[in-house]
Amino acid sequence: MKQYRAHLLVCAGTGCVSCGSFKIKEALEKEIQKKKLQDEVLVIATGCNGFCERGPILMVHPDGVFYQQLKVADIPFLVEEHLLKGRPVKKLMYIPPEEKEPIPRMKDIEFFKHQRLIVLRNRGRIDPEKVEEYIAFDGYEAMGKALSEMTPEKIIADITASGLRGRGGAGFPTGKKWAAGRAAKGSPKYLICNGDEGDPGAFMDRSILEADPHAILEGMVIGAKAIGAEKGFIYIRHEYPLALKRVEIAIKQARDNGLLGEDILGTGFNFDLEIVQGAGAFVSGEETALMASVEGRVAMPRQRPPYPAQKGLWNKPTVINNVETWATVPNIILRGAKWFSGLGTKTSKGTKIFSLVGKINNTGLVEVPMGITLRDVVYGIGGGIPGGREFKAVQIGGPSGGCIPAKMLDLTVDYESLTGAGAMMGSGGLIVMDDKTCMVDIAKYFMNFLRDESCGKCVSCREGTQRMWEIIKKITEGKGTEKDLDVLEDVARTCKDASLCGLGQTAANPVLSTLQYFRHEYEAHILDRRCPAGVCTALIRYVVVAEKCTGCQACKNACPTQSIKGTLKDVHLIEQTKCIKCGACQEACRFEAIEAQREEAIQII
Amino acid sequence: MAEKKKLRIQDLAKIREKTRALTTIRESEGRAKVTVHMGTCGIAAGAREIMDALLDEMQKNKVQDVIVSTSGCAGLCNREPMATVEFKGQPPVKYVDLTPEKMRKIFAEHVLCGRLVPAFALAVGSETVY
Amino acid sequence: MITFRMNGLEVSAEEGWTILEASKFYGLEIPTLCYYEGLSPYGGCRLCVVEIGEGEKAKLVSSCTYPVEQGMVVRTDTKRVIAARKMMIELMVSVAPGSKVLQDLASQFGVTEVRFEPRHEECILCGRCVRICAEQMDARAIGFQQRGYKKKISTPFDIRSEVCRLCGACLYVCPACQLRCQGPQAETTLCNGCLAPDPTCLDYYDDLQCWMYDAGRCGTCVREKT
Repeated sequence: MKQYRAHLLVCAGTGCVSCGSFKIKEALEKEIQKKKLQDEVLVIATGCNGFCERGPILMVHPDGVFYQQLKVADIPFLVEEHLLKGRPVKKLMYIPPEEKEPIPRMKDIEFFKHQRLIVLRNRGRIDPEKVEEYIAFDGYEAMGKALSEMTPEKIIADITASGLRGRGGAGFPTGKKWAAGRAAKGSPKYLICNGDEGDPGAFMDRSILEADPHAILEGMVIGAKAIGAEKGFIYIRHEYPLALKRVEIAIKQARDNGLLGEDILGTGFNFDLEIVQGAGAFVSGEETALMASVEGRVAMPRQRPPYPAQKGLWNKPTVINNVETWATVPNIILRGAKWFSGLGTKTSKGTKIFSLVGKINNTGLVEVPMGITLRDVVYGIGGGIPGGREFKAVQIGGPSGGCIPAKMLDLTVDYESLTGAGAMMGSGGLIVMDDKTCMVDIAKYFMNFLRDESCGKCVSCREGTQRMWEIIKKITEGKGTEKDLDVLEDVARTCKDASLCGLGQTAANPVLSTLQYFRHEYEAHILDRRCPAGVCTALIRYVVVAEKCTGCQACKNACPTQSIKGTLKDVHLIEQTKCIKCGACQEACRFEAIEAQREEAIQII
Repeated sequence: MAEKKKLRIQDLAKIREKTRALTTIRESEGRAKVTVHMGTCGIAAGAREIMDALLDEMQKNKVQDVIVSTSGCAGLCNREPMATVEFKGQPPVKYVDLTPEKMRKIFAEHVLCGRLVPAFALAVGSETVY
Repeated sequence: MITFRMNGLEVSAEEGWTILEASKFYGLEIPTLCYYEGLSPYGGCRLCVVEIGEGEKAKLVSSCTYPVEQGMVVRTDTKRVIAARKMMIELMVSVAPGSKVLQDLASQFGVTEVRFEPRHEECILCGRCVRICAEQMDARAIGFQQRGYKKKISTPFDIRSEVCRLCGACLYVCPACQLRCQGPQAETTLCNGCLAPDPTCLDYYDDLQCWMYDAGRCGTCVREKT
């Protein structure tokens, strides 16, 4: 082991990679070679750090200094100052919005301070493509314990006592599922890891797969011992090439080192894993559809019972769990059920990973203990709404979830309290919305997603999502009637009641929850023909306010369709027939002379 | 880990020991920290050689639980090269007018055995920062 | 033998039967569309939904696919069930108003308005044709393509099939092309020629009370239509 005095951890999750973090790594290595520091300073690429808003990210250890938004041009100066002269570079550090002083250490930054990393404990800390780094941080220790010292019954008892619930969305008690799998008759038994994360805005599973793939392998081997399975499948959606690559490397390294395959760790236990790629459908995240896909058939759900634990893949007992659930298992086995159940609330134990996206300052991935309030997540960790705008709602649970309005911000994050509020924990996507977001438009967006992704088997979902989308679209175009709201609710209720699978049963949630908390917005669109948030383009017109216009031509230059007419120093005019309502003119104007007005209140200039 | 050796449970613990340096650095969990002052004055006075000597000693003695850090100018430029040795829970000790040999001696006495070397030390403790 | 309650009656069935099979055995009528005797059940039309369980845990499931379970409580005609059936029919009629089977169902279940834009398509994707071609005729010439609202039934790659033997089984079982209805009116998309009145017992008992299962046709519960 070379004696390094400093480690540079470059974040290489997909978010930072797309911002050029591999180029940053190359630049660092080059500069370090130049300064002859290669025997003292190690550069490695890690998985996602979580603070995706600020990528590319670099962590310098042992100092614990957090660098963000790096450019290749910054690197020579950084290496010279920090690594040679010991002076961390202030201008590359994180400065919270509205403040002036940078915060050098990661553990002092609000975004990271309030998180409790269990599943994501290795994020940004290890090179996911080196199994020895995983082992260095207690990796495979739990697996060793499970295979050599524990009986299957004891493993299941521990998981049950911990209170772990499925993190894929439904929150079914994991111990119960494993016990059913163990008790089921039939052989061989299978395990599946559901990595088909399809919710728009969700990237929790992707981050785990990219940052710490061995955690899943370890969890699945432990599960295999508990249930009595010999083969497992990791289903990863086709759209995650980096995750696929890292898991492939992890499986190969595990096999090469006797941590997977035959005679694992010399204990005589056999279990092997295979990767299956998804084919681009959201519905294949539904467990019965996923199994159909693994079997090579079209991903369409079927009736349950029989449940997969009794009759799953090829009619054999199959236990399917989400990526996050599998990655939590080694932690529970290693540190004990009591430790895990000490975190969280009475019914929801442990931590949950959320992807915090939308109109929020600190976009990224956070792991928080259950029971934290939404207010703490949005304002504490999230840093509030950018531009000082007002918080309006947060969509939880993706397209199967619902919106929580501002008045319910003190709701605690917990399976039951979220379902009680008309939303759903779901896989953990948290989309924050401000007062410039139109809730009807949001409902339209999700219904469009769902009608596209419905498998089409049952009438209630296939036709239901289509018709709900049509009605909402009509409303956003200003053609809605009051009767439409009744029809919308009718279709929504039936779609929820009569659909075959989880997709259909929860497809109506965006509609029902926005109707519950934001009915006034629907009514404004219908009765006033007005979009309060100023989003629905059919209901707004951009007009120049003659008294304020100075004729500076800024709007004319900004307009992408050349719809603005006017000569220098003269009041300008927007030609409505050519205007595409993009709002660029309003943004460009420095005199607040452009207003988005209601369709009917046209100013004649 | 290039060799395709099948691991046993005992091997996991061995690997953890071998890679202790990793956890030490990334978790900032050393039992002691040695900071070599590498401001412009320090580098001009020869701090690089001090650093090389320190790292060499660490490698030779297979020390995995000590953190090595750098910092900028400490303020006492005419006594450079300087290094500070800090043990967990104890006040830091500043060593001045260093040479690579002195650094090695300090490493052997203070870092490895916990015995302060008064002849090379300037002071114990640090400046008050309001 | 599995024993359970169906509409308040203690009934028993063989293990592996579906609720629909048990109901047929006992002479209870549950409407179906995609179900066809001799073909595997599909569970797509959602007409055969029944309510199982009680209180908060009660849910709707398709009786043609749900296996009987010991001690389950099944109710075939609750308010929730009838509301779901009516909506399914309304949705399907708006897609294919030219089908007599659908118009008859609309009249039978008192669907008097279609609140959606009619699409005048022919297919309601019940899958009977696909299943009979695969399971009974052993040809597998046609199948489902695409997903969601774009789903359709066709031959692979939409080219002329080499395995189709022109047996006509698909035409035979199709509910949309069985008989053309002359009745649909442009304004309502419905014919409603043989409309049965709304039963009054549903609101009160949350269960249809007519044991003859002739929902209104026996004349006992005629109601004024407003």
